[in-house]
Amino acid sequence: MITVTINGKQIKIEKAVTVLDAARIAGIKIPTLCHHDLLESFGGCRLCLVEVEKLPRLQTACTMYITDGMVVQTETERVVEARKAMLEFLLINHALDCPYCDKAGECDLQDLVMKYGPSSGRFAEGKRKHPESYDDPIIVRNMERCISCTRCVRMCDKVQGASAISMVNRTSKTFVEPFSGGRYNCEYCGNCLTVCPVGAIMSRLHKHTYRPWYIEKNVDTICSFCGVGCTVTAQVRGNSIIRVIPEIGKGVNKGLLCNRGRFGYDYINSGGRLTSPLIRKNGVLEAATWSEAIAYVAGRLQDVKDKSGGSAIAGIASARCTNEDNYVFQKFMRAAIGSNSIDSAAAFAFAPAQKYFESIFGQGVTANPISGIAKADGVFVIGGDPTSVNPVLGLQIRAAAQKKVPVITVGYTPGLRNFSTHSILPAPFAETSLLAAIVSELSRIKSPDVIKSAFGEIIRSIQPVSSEDAQNACGIPADEIRGCADALAGMTNPAIIIGRDIILRSDGHTNLLLLAALMQLINGRIYLASEQPNERGIIDMGCVPDSLPGGRPIAVDSFRKRYEEFIGSPIPSSQGLGLMEIIAAAHSGQVKALYVMGENIAFNVPDHSYVKEALEALDFLVLQDSFMTETARMADVVLPTLSWAEKEGSFTNLEGRMQHLQKVVDGQGIDDWSALAEISTLLGVEMHYKGVKDVMAEIARVSPLHKGITYEDMEGGQCMWPYKGEPLRHDLVLPGIDMPDVKSMLRKPGKDMVYIGVDKPLFHSGSLSRNSQALSSISSKPFARIGGGLAGRLSLADGDYVTISTSAGSLDMPVMLFADMPENLVLVPNNFEGAGVYKILAWKMNENIKTPAFDSIEASLKKIERITAEGSA
Amino acid sequence: MEKFLLRNTEHPNSADLDAYIKAGGYKALAKSFADKPSDVIDEIKKAGLRGRGGAGFPTGIKWSFAAADPKKPRYVVCNADEGEPGTFKDKPILEKNPHLLIEGMCISGYALEAEYGYIYLRGEYPHAKVILDGAIQQAYDKGFLGDDILGKGVRFHLVVHQGAGAYICGEETALIESLEGKRGQPRKRPPFPVNEGFLGKPTVVNNVETIANIPYIVQIGADKYSQIGNPDCPGPKLFSVSGHVKKPGVYELPMGTSLREIIYDHCGGITGDKALKAVIPGGITTPVLPADSIDCPMDFVNMPKHGSMLGSGAVMVFDETVDLVKVCRRAIRFLEHESCGKCTPCREGVGWLRSILDRVAGGSGRNGDIDLLLEVSKNIMGKTFCPLGDGAAGVVQSFVKHFRSEFEVHVNNAVSVAS
Repeated sequence: MITVTINGKQIKIEKAVTVLDAARIAGIKIPTLCHHDLLESFGGCRLCLVEVEKLPRLQTACTMYITDGMVVQTETERVVEARKAMLEFLLINHALDCPYCDKAGECDLQDLVMKYGPSSGRFAEGKRKHPESYDDPIIVRNMERCISCTRCVRMCDKVQGASAISMVNRTSKTFVEPFSGGRYNCEYCGNCLTVCPVGAIMSRLHKHTYRPWYIEKNVDTICSFCGVGCTVTAQVRGNSIIRVIPEIGKGVNKGLLCNRGRFGYDYINSGGRLTSPLIRKNGVLEAATWSEAIAYVAGRLQDVKDKSGGSAIAGIASARCTNEDNYVFQKFMRAAIGSNSIDSAAAFAFAPAQKYFESIFGQGVTANPISGIAKADGVFVIGGDPTSVNPVLGLQIRAAAQKKVPVITVGYTPGLRNFSTHSILPAPFAETSLLAAIVSELSRIKSPDVIKSAFGEIIRSIQPVSSEDAQNACGIPADEIRGCADALAGMTNPAIIIGRDIILRSDGHTNLLLLAALMQLINGRIYLASEQPNERGIIDMGCVPDSLPGGRPIAVDSFRKRYEEFIGSPIPSSQGLGLMEIIAAAHSGQVKALYVMGENIAFNVPDHSYVKEALEALDFLVLQDSFMTETARMADVVLPTLSWAEKEGSFTNLEGRMQHLQKVVDGQGIDDWSALAEISTLLGVEMHYKGVKDVMAEIARVSPLHKGITYEDMEGGQCMWPYKGEPLRHDLVLPGIDMPDVKSMLRKPGKDMVYIGVDKPLFHSGSLSRNSQALSSISSKPFARIGGGLAGRLSLADGDYVTISTSAGSLDMPVMLFADMPENLVLVPNNFEGAGVYKILAWKMNENIKTPAFDSIEASLKKIERITAEGSA
Repeated sequence: MEKFLLRNTEHPNSADLDAYIKAGGYKALAKSFADKPSDVIDEIKKAGLRGRGGAGFPTGIKWSFAAADPKKPRYVVCNADEGEPGTFKDKPILEKNPHLLIEGMCISGYALEAEYGYIYLRGEYPHAKVILDGAIQQAYDKGFLGDDILGKGVRFHLVVHQGAGAYICGEETALIESLEGKRGQPRKRPPFPVNEGFLGKPTVVNNVETIANIPYIVQIGADKYSQIGNPDCPGPKLFSVSGHVKKPGVYELPMGTSLREIIYDHCGGITGDKALKAVIPGGITTPVLPADSIDCPMDFVNMPKHGSMLGSGAVMVFDETVDLVKVCRRAIRFLEHESCGKCTPCREGVGWLRSILDRVAGGSGRNGDIDLLLEVSKNIMGKTFCPLGDGAAGVVQSFVKHFRSEFEVHVNNAVSVAS
């Protein structure tokens, strides 16, 4: 115990904290500027100077650690004078343009000067001049207001790890500038905006559109972009969101955000929002009333059901919709339609991976708190760059790297380039051999005790692959593979982060088996990267072909009967079709009607021409969405629904944390669940929810996993899996594990072939973010990533246009060169209208885990010569 | 007194290894290898050597702190960022006697069990860079550096790193930041460099002159060494004398030699036999002394008693014709320019001092400016992150204290012109 006396108040503190923290514990406020709770102390602003007994100089409370018996004074005349002097100094070169500055009203410097500062300064000379920088579309820099606290630079360097900005110059001429000059070449996380105490770094999106005191309400809600589920505060005036900001210390993100969460919210105000229901009449979508549209949908669905049975109707839900929407969706499909063919885009990686790991290790095995990554003593990353898929989760990996633990990345992960200790770049689509060799090495290194379980038997029966053979297949030197295995063997609580790229393969199930073995061998915790906010929730809610709400298998009679009893109508007992099977069945005419909620399947399912044929073959396609998407243009009926921030509900993030999504503003359209309930009622299965709370109350009654859960339970942010309910206990039921043969694991890419892969850009999210002006201003056009070798072979330079062709089609776009890209690979994103890579990814399914298989799709690149400004060749 | 630090430097080939060996060089290295590393540290401690960079911290104690830290590897860094106006005492060692520095670094490395040493050389000493690189190569060739020094299995490598011109990089933590490739700004302490210095490892940073004293101590023994000069801070001291003296230059004299002796006995008195007006005794950041204070012994113990500091021993002499307000302004201009910008009082306050001094020296001073100078200095003093800002405040305070009337003349004339 350390005893310190601050202003005569004696306190006892367990460990040595700074004087600043000790004072805080004692309830004494010491003013600060350069200090920030998310950053290491700096000691530059000198505002927190205090008197410490026995020390002649004043000391900065933010850097001085307490010692036993220390006596501190924070309000003596000497301290008060010093504080005043520092504030007088700070105002020398600070533009006193508060009446014009957006920060006024929430400016730390303004507040401190009002409270502690001199009433007028004595500095009579001219201030420094520095023109405000509008070079960037998102961030405005006004360096006349900068007080050189370096909070932005420290945030960018140490927390975000982007190292995009720096202090430039010395003396009072010091200012902040991105290394790239005027325009930022950074991750646009905007965390520098959060920490700027003055109006030096501001968001351009809402410049001069508000004053802090105009904000009428602050609504805490959950970000709508990815599966991390960051807590954001939406600030509202009237019926519009002024801005979205994080709150320090709050939520999974603890006050950090990424570009999408901070700036991308403006999609809800996009001009492309649908406002009225649309019915296709004579081949044209025409506006209709809600009652007309609802009755029409019910009638058409009833026709198909009468003629071909419920199983001829399939439903595709969306992990961008809430748990409540998805719960009602599956109930509607099962009870009102009579079909278990329910799925979502979560089926593309998250759902099959979770199912695979749960079938081996039990339910909840992938439900691990994200904060555990920074505490891990090693990190293994495979299947994509977590810093672009789940940026705030990516920060946890960078935080772990800052602590100098081994970080192993397999594959192209540019966001971890400066953080990985083992950066392993196997030949495209040849990771299986690498994983197999690592598992073989680890099985040898680890004592047999580690693998005594039933699954251990299976690990032992995986045919060993030597590092030399793996080297031959994937191109990574055997020594490097062994080094990687050694590093893994030395970890005691590692985090394993798995992205979709390793799963969307024809051997995706083999990769899952090897990853499960790896996890067991090193006692790792698994994190599944998740591109959409509610992928785990959608599985929990039963929007899968084989499970009811609460993860109860539909094939088990008792579970199904219990649910039938509750809802008062029968549901089919046989497993339904998954997403890929639904499209295939539509293509073959088996599925005749498709009900889609919030998913742009015409764009987000591979092989656009195949999908188009499938959708055209349908008798009836109905879509609930907020935007006129590619799918909407093909639908027979489009029902405009509320978007994020316009509705209440809940999301369950990738770690299995249920969080409450708040309604922030009024929108046009109705809740997804509400439209479904009305149609269901017309189809004879009555649903009369008075509000979203009624839906949640029903979930709480029927899902064993969500027993008794309410929104109040979610408020603290600690509503973790298994929520308040009971997970399914079961013994190891191995999912018909196909033991891979050595030859298939050692598959190597063809010589001199170029393969195409999916790029996941940091600045976009599916086909949703294209509606955000802010994100489009950061990144407006797609480009293909290629490596230097390929560029050299094809004589391509940055910005050259190419035609990328596969067996399924072709796309034109510019290329960008990235030095550390694997050779023989071109990566193309699937975000921009008319230029999605899924268009040219040929239809291929992994029958084992029912996912698309994107591996080994050959592509050819052809330079388009002399492209003119108009874009014609 | 027999010269040691500047021994041999008048010879044309003094930087050459053969000349150095002929004059008895590298004998101390061999002698030190006969002792245990900890014995060498004890000897330095016993000798009472105090750091010659300006702060005067006991070198042996600094070494023993680093030696007590179990973290490995350890590093030895020589601070050759001689950048303070008026200071050029290290230059003759660097350019004329580089092997003395190399020998000192090598002994330091042995004593501290460090295998790597760096010489952080002022960027504006390009000539010294060429000479040091050549001398280091010679030392490698002859086995005074490398993996098996003198065949005793001792390993020590030495690299010269050129600074980029920032004065603040002479401050040891800013030097380490710069050496690591970062922006040159002081670090917070603790942790001290002896525990977490270069790359987070125990690091000893010593001035060129300090390191150059090491072979001498090893050679003549601590007992004999401690009898040179003032017993409280013994040893030879280099003084770089500039300004209005007949024979400016670098002088090697016993610690504690008085300013009067330096100016009148060694430098031949004031040029043109004019009257002495003021002396800055230890580099531009040390308080100025008026002509009647020059009987003080120049050492770490006595100078503070006379209202100034020994600093680097850079003596700047001003005769009766000098406008000291302009000298003060020049000093503050330098310090403003070199303020790293990290802490508020130095970044903003020193610039403010400079603008007031510009006004006063430029003939547009206002009533109250002198008091404002003192007020601003007071608000800087004791509140800055590192000693640079304190130094600036101290300079202004000492000039106003001793020569207030000169400031008043400037202000009064300006005010009368204006009215």
